[in-house]
Amino acid sequence: MDKIKIGKFEFNSRLFIGTGKYSTMEMMEKALDASGAEVVTVALRRVNFEDSKENILNYIDQKKYTILPNTAGCYTVEDAVRITRLGRELGLPNWIKLEVMGDEKTLMPDNEGTLKATKQLVDEGFTVLAYTNDDIVACQKLEKAGAASVMPLGAPIGSGQGVLNPNNIKIILENAKVPIIVDAGVGTASDVTVAMELGADGVLLNTGVALAKDPVRMARAMKAGVEAGRDAFLAGRIPKKLYASASSPIEGIIK
Amino acid sequence: MKLIINGEEKDFDCETVSNLLNNLKLKKDIVAVELNKNIVHRENFDDTKLRDNDKLEIVTVVGGG
Repeated sequence: MDKIKIGKFEFNSRLFIGTGKYSTMEMMEKALDASGAEVVTVALRRVNFEDSKENILNYIDQKKYTILPNTAGCYTVEDAVRITRLGRELGLPNWIKLEVMGDEKTLMPDNEGTLKATKQLVDEGFTVLAYTNDDIVACQKLEKAGAASVMPLGAPIGSGQGVLNPNNIKIILENAKVPIIVDAGVGTASDVTVAMELGADGVLLNTGVALAKDPVRMARAMKAGVEAGRDAFLAGRIPKKLYASASSPIEGIIK
Repeated sequence: MKLIINGEEKDFDCETVSNLLNNLKLKKDIVAVELNKNIVHRENFDDTKLRDNDKLEIVTVVGGG
C-alpha cells in the first residue's frame, strides 16, 4: 500500500482537510466523509461563553479521523508554542500544524519564527508539520530543525490560485527527506492534481472545499484529484516534445 | 473575586479552576486552561486554587484549516 508516513503517524489518504468556514457542521461532516481524508485540521480559540454547547468535536468522529491541531492566527513563537501545548491538554494527538504568521494582510508565514518554534516544539516531543512559503532554503532549514513534514504553500491561504511556483515545489521535493505536503491556496481539483503530479506527498486544503457551491461534491473531486495526481506521478509521465508523434502505426497504410 | 478570563474582567465566587468551569457551565473534557500563562493539567483542575486578579485563558477546538 502507498502510505504516507509522518513521524509515527501513517495514512492511506494523501488528502488532509480543514474544518473551517463550512456553512453548517452537518455540511462539514458530509464533506469530510466525501473527501476520504483521514486527517482533519482544527484550530484552538477562546471559548465563546454565549455559545459553548455546540462543539465541533461532536461532529468529528475520532475513530475515523486523526485530528491535527494548528496554530493559525499566531504571530509569535511564544503564542504558537502555547497553543500547541494547549492542544495536547485537550487530548489531541501529539502533533501540530505549525503556523507562525508574519503579515496579517497576506497571511504570509514568518520563516524565522517558524524555525524557532519548530526547534522548540521538536525538543518538547511534538511531531511538527511546519507550514512555510515555497522557499527552497526555508524548507531545508525546517527539515534540519526536525520538522517531520514541511508544508510549503501552493498560493496564499484561501486564495484558490493553485500551485503558483511549480518549479520551486519540484526543487523542494528533490531535496527533501521528509514528506512534503502542499498546503494552502488550492482552489479546485486540477490544482491538487498538479501538486501531486509534481511528486508532493500530500495536499492540505480547506477553503476550496468549504466555500465551493457544493462542498460535498468538491470534496469528492479533490479526493479524485489527489488520487489521479499521485498515480500519474508514480506512473511516470512522458517527456514533453515540440513535434507530433503519431499514435497509430505508420507502416501498412493503404496506398 | 476578580478574574480576567479570556481577556475580560469578570466577578466570580469560586475557589478552584473546577469551580470556575462549573460556574461557566463548561465541560472539562472540551477545554484547556492556562492560568497566568501556565498550563493547568486537567487532573489538577480540582486542586488549582484561584486568586484575585488571576488571568485565565480557556480554549476549545474550533473549525480551522
